[in-house]
Amino acid sequence: MSLATEGFDVDSLSLGPIESGTSILLTGEDADTLQAVFSQLVAADDDERSIVLSTGSGGRAVQRDLNSARTGAGNRASVLTCEGPAAGDDIQSVDDISDLTRLGMDFSTLVASAQQGSGRFRSGIMLCSTIASEIEDTRSLYRFLNSNFLTELRRGDGIGVCALDTSADIGADMSSTISGLQTSFGAHIEVEKTGPGQATLTVDGLGGEETVDVSL
Amino acid sequence: MSKATTEEVSDLSRTVLCVDDEQRIDDVSTAIDGENGLAALEATTVAGAAELLQQESVVCVVTSYDLADGTGMDVIRAVREHAPQVPSVLFTDRPPQDIDTESFEETIVEYLNRDLPDAHDRLGFITNDVIEHSAQVGFLRPDDEEERLSTLAEYDIDELPIEESFERLTDLIASHFDAGVAFIGLIEKDEENFLACHGADLDSLTREDTICTHSMLQEDVMVIEDIADDNRFNKNEQLENLGIVSYAGANMTAPNGQVIGQVCLIDFERRSYDAEERAELQDFAETAMEILDLRQSLRSARGEEVAQ
Repeated sequence: MSLATEGFDVDSLSLGPIESGTSILLTGEDADTLQAVFSQLVAADDDERSIVLSTGSGGRAVQRDLNSARTGAGNRASVLTCEGPAAGDDIQSVDDISDLTRLGMDFSTLVASAQQGSGRFRSGIMLCSTIASEIEDTRSLYRFLNSNFLTELRRGDGIGVCALDTSADIGADMSSTISGLQTSFGAHIEVEKTGPGQATLTVDGLGGEETVDVSL
Repeated sequence: MSKATTEEVSDLSRTVLCVDDEQRIDDVSTAIDGENGLAALEATTVAGAAELLQQESVVCVVTSYDLADGTGMDVIRAVREHAPQVPSVLFTDRPPQDIDTESFEETIVEYLNRDLPDAHDRLGFITNDVIEHSAQVGFLRPDDEEERLSTLAEYDIDELPIEESFERLTDLIASHFDAGVAFIGLIEKDEENFLACHGADLDSLTREDTICTHSMLQEDVMVIEDIADDNRFNKNEQLENLGIVSYAGANMTAPNGQVIGQVCLIDFERRSYDAEERAELQDFAETAMEILDLRQSLRSARGEEVAQ
């Protein structure tokens, strides 16, 4: 119900302020590099909250990654994790990653809570490819994305990042799946590791097409 | 207080089935009736809701969790059985961890916590939003879907004499590729309508049950050699019932760049298509689009002549 406001800064990746409501598809075949770029995008600024659905890292690890990306961002994050226990108010655990009914409810509850504060949020799914590989019917994943991820961006003042490890086996043609996802997302960032702590980002949809070399 | 009867709401296009116990149903109905263009239809039990779903055309279901004869998830199960495209909102003061989702693992529902300070205001907004944006569909839509649908709407399909041309074309395509089925389909908001089909009796299919809704998102011809190997399609009962094994689809792209339909081949055995065959299928799709555009231009020109 909130109105879109000023953009979301991601200075560390040399990307200009990202317009509120933007959904970003993040793809790459090196999971660590993907994680580092994801954290830079999702780390909340002082007046924002991060909402992260993590399939492969524990809640504390996610918070540490966010802190590395932006000072204090881990303290402004709510994490829904499929790895490790719940802790405090900000880390909730997911028992069954394939229970998308419950996952959707938990995720939207966290977004709703974030909107009770400043209202500005950065949401992220790391990794969407893991969910795709765990569920039986891909249509359920698309329902989940439509209902619980893209919808929140349309309604609220936030940006969302959905990361896909292109080396994962998702039970469907990866290239074709990415082409489909690309058309539904506002922007696509392709991450290629070029060296230790180095990556090239091919960015499409954030004000044009560009290639950016970054240090992570 | 809303006590809309079946007769009263039947004339309205956007009826929302509200399900809650006797004590709280009026709160929910009032919130829905307060939204412009929405009308509440009430049920206070799972059984009552299931009955109304079979009798009435509703565009959304809002249900609480605790009901006398079951739970809100039972209502949502009934929605998926009787009206699978209808979005559902679970409006409850129960936290997610108290909700039994064990037998509903891949059923997506909008969850709205009733304890939020602005919960009733949000309910109307969210209900409108899930209806307007078909927010729970199981397929991906292009970012510019509204522009695409506007493009499609510009074609007076029902008024254009294209049926015979397209039937000849699909006969030719099936023969050329020695395929079991060849069809031309237009992809509407919620379904694919088949304008012509050789080898099968296809009229329309819910969009999330079609392969074309995926194929239209690809720039090139999309080929699925065996749908059993692809998680996007191998749990799709509609495709299984039709006996579909392989698929190839090419985009029908309007002059403004929007994809409005597909020209497709289906076979009942595993099969691949080489680059030349894919290019030929794309040529057929462009031919179908040209026929559609020429017929539309002719109709428009005749309309202008009459007007003069």
